[in-house]
Amino acid sequence: MSNWVQAMPTAEAYGLNKVLFQLHHSAGDLARYQDNASAYLDAFALSAAARAAILGNEVAQLYLLGCNPYLLRAHCIGMRIPEDQSLAALRSAARS
Amino acid sequence: MARITGIFAASHTPVMLNFPQAIEPALRSEVFSAFSDLGQAIAAAQPQALVVLSDDHVHNFFLNNLPSLCIGAAEHYPTPVEHWLKAEKRVLPGDARLGAYLLQHAMAHDFDPSLSMELTLDHGILTPLELAGVGRELPVVPVLINCVQPPLPSMARCHAFGRWLGQALRAYEGLERVAILATGGLSHDLATPRMGLVNEDFDRRFLELLEAGDAAGAVAHARDQVHLAGNGGEEVRMWLAALGAADGAPFVRRFYQPVSGWYTGIGLGHWAC
Repeated sequence: MSNWVQAMPTAEAYGLNKVLFQLHHSAGDLARYQDNASAYLDAFALSAAARAAILGNEVAQLYLLGCNPYLLRAHCIGMRIPEDQSLAALRSAARS
Repeated sequence: MARITGIFAASHTPVMLNFPQAIEPALRSEVFSAFSDLGQAIAAAQPQALVVLSDDHVHNFFLNNLPSLCIGAAEHYPTPVEHWLKAEKRVLPGDARLGAYLLQHAMAHDFDPSLSMELTLDHGILTPLELAGVGRELPVVPVLINCVQPPLPSMARCHAFGRWLGQALRAYEGLERVAILATGGLSHDLATPRMGLVNEDFDRRFLELLEAGDAAGAVAHARDQVHLAGNGGEEVRMWLAALGAADGAPFVRRFYQPVSGWYTGIGLGHWAC
């Protein structure tokens, strides 16, 4: 097993990572996202799969799409996804 | 000429600050004591500046511009950058002059680190300083190595970069005493299906190779086995850079425990300068 899903980020992963980076580094963005996630995401070029994964807090899918692990971790903490839930989701990704 | 009066290495994880209670009190106390002892050793080295080798965990840098190596040359470094880290916000003093010297010396000696004159430092640097109780007046120079997003610099390159760093510091005329703190690792996996698994065998072998003074073996072990040590295990690059800077000085293991409750193999050590 590699430490990384992608040896080089895909364009799709770039878009996804850009959302997570901005959510957790730009003041007010997380609150705006939590207020209306769909409207927030309209400003980004995302694949349908990436958009669905982030909207649904689908941790396993975000991982498989090439989310940077540090951004994904920050997102789980920032979105207050329970630790046991995010760990279980990640472990399910190994079986997919 | 400056003397390197101490070269230290320590793991870092935000869990130490955010969820310290996730492990048993006895083990927690053991780890925190090891950090406190490390702080005393750093203080005993009486450095006038501390070069901190760490990685930026995708805070200052993003995929639009991601340096493999970066040296800070700022007079101040606010920290922490993470809104979710349970740590008091503060500003670390920087040694801009030493940072500028290192950047210029690196370029003249065939390394090409990026320049940054504005960094907001993250848990990688703050956590060990906080736990070790390193004096808040000690100026730092952050030296950041990309361990967080492939493509990553090779293990051998990081070791060679550290060798250059040691030579550059010893040739520096601006201070009498400097120290190095390398932070990161050992094995851990973050936001992957293996998160929580610590590869104790990887860690112990790595530490044994350092203790044996086998630099080539340590580089090869890291290169060939890091895929079993987790994405956080990629941070052994900082230890390899410190090994290079130590230039053959013996390594002393101060502490190691696989702390799965904190998701991390926690190691601390120093090179006897």
